[in-house]
Amino acid sequence: MKSAYLSVLFLVMVLSHSPVRAQEQPLTPRQILDKVDDLFRSKSSRGIATMTVTTTHWKRSLSLEMWSKGKEKSLFRILAPKKEKGTATLRSGNDIWNYLPKVKRVIKLPSSMMAASWMGSHFTNDDLVKESRMADDYTFKITFSGEMEGQEIVEVTCYPKPDAAVVWGKVLVRALRQEYLPLSIKYYDEDLRLARTMTFSQVSQLGGRLLPAVVTMVPEDKPEESTVIHYQKLDFDIDLKDDFFSLRTLQK
Amino acid sequence: MNSLQYGWRNLWRNTRRTGITLAAVCLSTAILMASYGLMDGLMQHAVSNATNLVVGEVQVHAQGYLADHSIYKALNEPDLILEAAKQKNVAAAPRRYGYGLVAVGTKSAGARFWGVEPASERATFDLAQHLQEGRFLSETARRGVVLGQKLARSLQAQIGSEIVVVVQAADGSLGNDLYTVTGILKAAGDSIDRNAALIHAEDFVELFVSGDRIHEVALNSRGMVPLDKLTELLSIAAPEEEIKSWRQLMPEVSDMVNLFDAFIWIFGLIFLLAAGMGVMNTMLMATYERIREFGILKALGATPWGIIRDVAAEALVLAALGTVLGTILGLAGSYYLQQVGLDLSIFAGTYSVGGVAFNPIWRATISPKMVLIPAVLMLIIGVVASLYPAALAARLDPVKAIHRP
Amino acid sequence: MIARLAWRSIWRNRRRTLITVFSIGFGLACTVFFIAIGEGVYAQLIDQVVRLQAGHITMEHPSYRDAPAVDLWIKVPESLRSRIERLPQVERTKLIIMGQGIARSGSGDVSATLMGIEPSVELDTSPLVRHIVAGRYLNEDDGPWVVIGSELAKRLKLKVGKKMVLTTNDAAGNLVDVLCRVRGIFETGSVEIDGYFIQAPIDFARRVFGLPEEGATQLGVILRVPEAQESVLHEVRLMVAEQDIAVLPWQEVIPEIASYIKLDKGSNWIFQAILIFLILFTIFNTILMSVLEREREFAVLLALGTKPVQLRLQILMESAYVGLIGCTLGLLVGGLAAWAAQVWGIDLRSLLEEGFTISGFAVSAKMHARVTAGLLLGTAGLVFGATLILSLIPMHRASRLSIVDQLR
Repeated sequence: MKSAYLSVLFLVMVLSHSPVRAQEQPLTPRQILDKVDDLFRSKSSRGIATMTVTTTHWKRSLSLEMWSKGKEKSLFRILAPKKEKGTATLRSGNDIWNYLPKVKRVIKLPSSMMAASWMGSHFTNDDLVKESRMADDYTFKITFSGEMEGQEIVEVTCYPKPDAAVVWGKVLVRALRQEYLPLSIKYYDEDLRLARTMTFSQVSQLGGRLLPAVVTMVPEDKPEESTVIHYQKLDFDIDLKDDFFSLRTLQK
Repeated sequence: MNSLQYGWRNLWRNTRRTGITLAAVCLSTAILMASYGLMDGLMQHAVSNATNLVVGEVQVHAQGYLADHSIYKALNEPDLILEAAKQKNVAAAPRRYGYGLVAVGTKSAGARFWGVEPASERATFDLAQHLQEGRFLSETARRGVVLGQKLARSLQAQIGSEIVVVVQAADGSLGNDLYTVTGILKAAGDSIDRNAALIHAEDFVELFVSGDRIHEVALNSRGMVPLDKLTELLSIAAPEEEIKSWRQLMPEVSDMVNLFDAFIWIFGLIFLLAAGMGVMNTMLMATYERIREFGILKALGATPWGIIRDVAAEALVLAALGTVLGTILGLAGSYYLQQVGLDLSIFAGTYSVGGVAFNPIWRATISPKMVLIPAVLMLIIGVVASLYPAALAARLDPVKAIHRP
Repeated sequence: MIARLAWRSIWRNRRRTLITVFSIGFGLACTVFFIAIGEGVYAQLIDQVVRLQAGHITMEHPSYRDAPAVDLWIKVPESLRSRIERLPQVERTKLIIMGQGIARSGSGDVSATLMGIEPSVELDTSPLVRHIVAGRYLNEDDGPWVVIGSELAKRLKLKVGKKMVLTTNDAAGNLVDVLCRVRGIFETGSVEIDGYFIQAPIDFARRVFGLPEEGATQLGVILRVPEAQESVLHEVRLMVAEQDIAVLPWQEVIPEIASYIKLDKGSNWIFQAILIFLILFTIFNTILMSVLEREREFAVLLALGTKPVQLRLQILMESAYVGLIGCTLGLLVGGLAAWAAQVWGIDLRSLLEEGFTISGFAVSAKMHARVTAGLLLGTAGLVFGATLILSLIPMHRASRLSIVDQLR
């Protein structure tokens, strides 16, 4: 399943083109998540979003342009503010490179920085990388299906496989039962205490699909902080060559 | 007075005996004094090594800073702390800290950035001289960086290497810049070796957009102001902040110093016994040699008390003279050991205790305590050691005493 | 004849002789005792460190020291190991993989050192095994289970059985993430080891770092006695002469410890030298005094036809007796005390709560002395020799007495 903020950031862009079909048979939890995933899936995508990060000490907004291809490749570039314009991140498989226009240098992120924040947000560099592995790392179970707060929803709980390199104790995904639009993803630590919550809202037309345009991440230990990503534009299945995701593009 | 004068004259009747005894007292006092100075020096050495390099005697942080090292937990009124230190003539260095990434070529590593004021660091600590290669930061901000030894090695950085730094600035933006490696520190404790990147305070402020935030003020009086006075001074100047002495900051080193202290007392006692036995033996012998003489005096009508008094006076004069000469000699030795010191690097290069690098020059200290204790003790031992045979002689039958071999 | 005369004459002034003998004995005993304690602490420190880390002798990639990283690994065939283990001075060999990474839990992340070890070897040799405070140490089939330090556990809020994700770069430079679970927690008292150290079975570490079977960053050789280092070093170097493998003594692998010991020994020797000097000064004074006191007697002897050589010999014999008795006493007292400290140890735990650390390695607050014949005989020989040399001056003086002056 595609869940991490991945869903958030690029997830959103990485989804395939399967139209939402009404299903007669009850779906397996895995299928439900695949449905959610499918909303976003595509061979390739391009998007523009605003990321607003609020912390106790500061609040700022970044305008981002992003591209993705398959599950393994993505590229982000900051468009605004001016000070950081051109700063870019390339992810290919497990590796992340950052380009810093001010010093005109590319830096490959060392493993020691994987747990550090990505661009000051509440996502870590690791979140960028992890997304593609979620399906392999978890087992799934439907833990709720029915009406909640006036909506027909389905809740799938994802339990990490015993040998998966995942710090979470469980991940709870809620989606609308009809459209499989995601509502929230909650991450719990090993003692099953809530660690962070990601919510999806403002369903709107993006790239010809009905998708939540706003993704909000709130860390449980600092509820007054948040990272909000607002997608302005999304295009799916655009023509992107593999070599687009190269260090050379990164430095443009 | 009469007795003392008599004693003085008596001393020079047998110059050889007096010479030997005098030499014994004098040398024992001098050696004891110099070695006490060395021991005390070792103790001070341990403390100053722990504090002078970079830690200082007392550090002030905002409440909670030490728990999470958050860049936002800055001191409220660092100027008041600096001002208070200045009034007491205690050197102090304000520091800013932040975390980030450093990269040279394809190598990169996480680092802790220290925003330092080179002039204050130089005036307060020895770190500026503690370089393996290159030089410390210049007084003006020039995008220079001084790296910890292991950090430099893992980046394969050399003097002049261009290094990219990327940090999460205090306003949330991505701070990044190019710096030039100007120096690489010698081993200075594991955490500094592994991740310290020292930059100029002004560069730090620009990189981290940290404004006037100061995270730490480290004070170092180099032993001139007692620790409790220093802590007291700070608790008045900055009652809100967290004030920690080096003993709290480095409990392992503090334990080690306590261990040194215990050993030094044991050694001090052993030395005293060894020197005391030497003086005692000499004094005993010098007095025994004269038992015949006392016998004659007694036969001539001297009272036992008179003999004891005379012997005591003579011993006092002798021991006093010996300790005075010994003190002069001992002070000279201590002074030499204080100024020049013993260079332990003939035994080894650098090493660290509890993560703090040690300076191999071992110097003695000169303090009133270390001068008075050996002098007074030697004086007492000298006099007491001569009283015993004198008392023996005083009670002796004159005839027997005279016939003693 | 002269021997008997000398013996009798030292006891003519019993008090003086006893004081001299006692001061020699006392000084020697102290010296022996404190040097033995020092040696014991060094031996304990070295033993702990080499057993915990890479052995008395370490074999590794020639460039590893300059830039320690897992990509500089070596292949250690079983045949080489068994050849080394067949050397009589070798107790055990241990394969290890040392790599850096980030340990993460739901509560945070900490940079850490992952050390891949062979549990069966460590169980027999490593001091860490004795410092487990929760759970248990690893065994052979513990797969992705690890033992971690108490500080690390505290920072990541980990308990036995909980999971931890390790992020690092493998030997090829790829980023890897692996899950492991905490089997045990150790506490050595050293902030560095308790705060940054993770041990895992070596097969697991190989998987993490992408090393093949028989691959490791180091092969450590643990010796039965540290003194065998030179000879084993030589033999092992011959064994791998054809290969691109560096064979290093522990002094080069952990130079901080080696120089700490040298330095501490240096200052200890300075203290002992001062003490011995004080003692020798007493001896000198005593001999000189006793000779001067008996000048008349010697003059008579000379007048009666005793040859100056005989007189000198007698004085030398007297010093030798005093020195001998003093040294015996000193060796007995000092040796016994040191031996007791070797067997039972001196407990400084009341003074130091948790022991202390040297260059990041914890030393137990319970100190054991280490007495060797070399130490006992060396110091005693030194004091005895010095006694004899010191008696030369008074001896010389006595034999050149002017008989006329003395007998007047």
